[in-house]
Amino acid sequence: MLIAGAALLLAACSEPARELPVNTRLGGDFTLTDYNGERFSLSSLNGEVVILFFGYTHCPDICPAVLARVSQVYRNLKEQGEADQVRPVFVTFDPERDTAQHLREYLPWFKADILGLTGELSAIEKVAEQYGVVFIKEDGGNGEVDFTHSDYIYLLDQQGRVRKVYPADFNIDEVVADVKTLL
Amino acid sequence: MLKRFFSAMSGVALLVTVSAGAFAEARIEQAWLRAVPPVSPSMAGYFVLVNDTDQPLVLTGANADFAGMTMLHDTGTDGEGRRSMSHLKDVTIPAGESLAFAPGGRHLMLMKMKSVPEAGETPKVCLAFQNHADLCGAFQVRHNEP
Repeated sequence: MLIAGAALLLAACSEPARELPVNTRLGGDFTLTDYNGERFSLSSLNGEVVILFFGYTHCPDICPAVLARVSQVYRNLKEQGEADQVRPVFVTFDPERDTAQHLREYLPWFKADILGLTGELSAIEKVAEQYGVVFIKEDGGNGEVDFTHSDYIYLLDQQGRVRKVYPADFNIDEVVADVKTLL
Repeated sequence: MLKRFFSAMSGVALLVTVSAGAFAEARIEQAWLRAVPPVSPSMAGYFVLVNDTDQPLVLTGANADFAGMTMLHDTGTDGEGRRSMSHLKDVTIPAGESLAFAPGGRHLMLMKMKSVPEAGETPKVCLAFQNHADLCGAFQVRHNEP
């Protein structure tokens, strides 16, 4: 009985991670402006695994939580020596306030090598459409601007293809494990 | 430099209570702020408000000396998974009940930051009520939910 149980356990441990399917409905290359003010194409990261997510820095609740969780994924990978070919990429949908300079000052605090992207609103809208992201500008009251928005996180492989989509409250260990299947 | 309400805090359930009576009080528990970059224009506060008084409490807002503006907000999710924030004019906590302000839901939004407290600090935040004296507590700045 014990031997059979141990054999099952060993089999489970040695089972290769399941290959993540390619999502052919979402994604694609795009060009925006990076936090250094330079034109940036997603395809320039080909060869690296990308964790792509959207938000805005004036969002106090969900966005900082997502940034913190993505950062934790990156730091966990780094501790395991697996982060060299991994790049978190944050796209703002609030380019008016999230300028390149603001993103350059804001993102390094998370200590996760997060690349920040901004640009013309029309260009960001096009990227959002490619990835199925919805964002709607709203009056937050007292002159504040908020956004109704979707908050999915996209795991892209070395060819920029979407391999998995996660909710904002994703499991950090799950994403770490998924990234490692692509490395 | 921020004035600190408490110089140190151990544990996550630190609060100040304003008693309406020896056995009937309202209090803030599990109060914390999510740590954000120093250039952040806003930050969010979370807590559990316990109403052990014999009257409903009507929470109307908050104030903190490090934020120029505060609002009560609620993050909602629609049927298509889109998040949106709505302003709460007030929130009623029935007598004998408690109400949580937690990530992804009701939260205190602090804006027009005069300074951004750092992780580990415990700045003072006061909650304001329509029918009760302010409740002030030390909100621990944390990277993660307690």
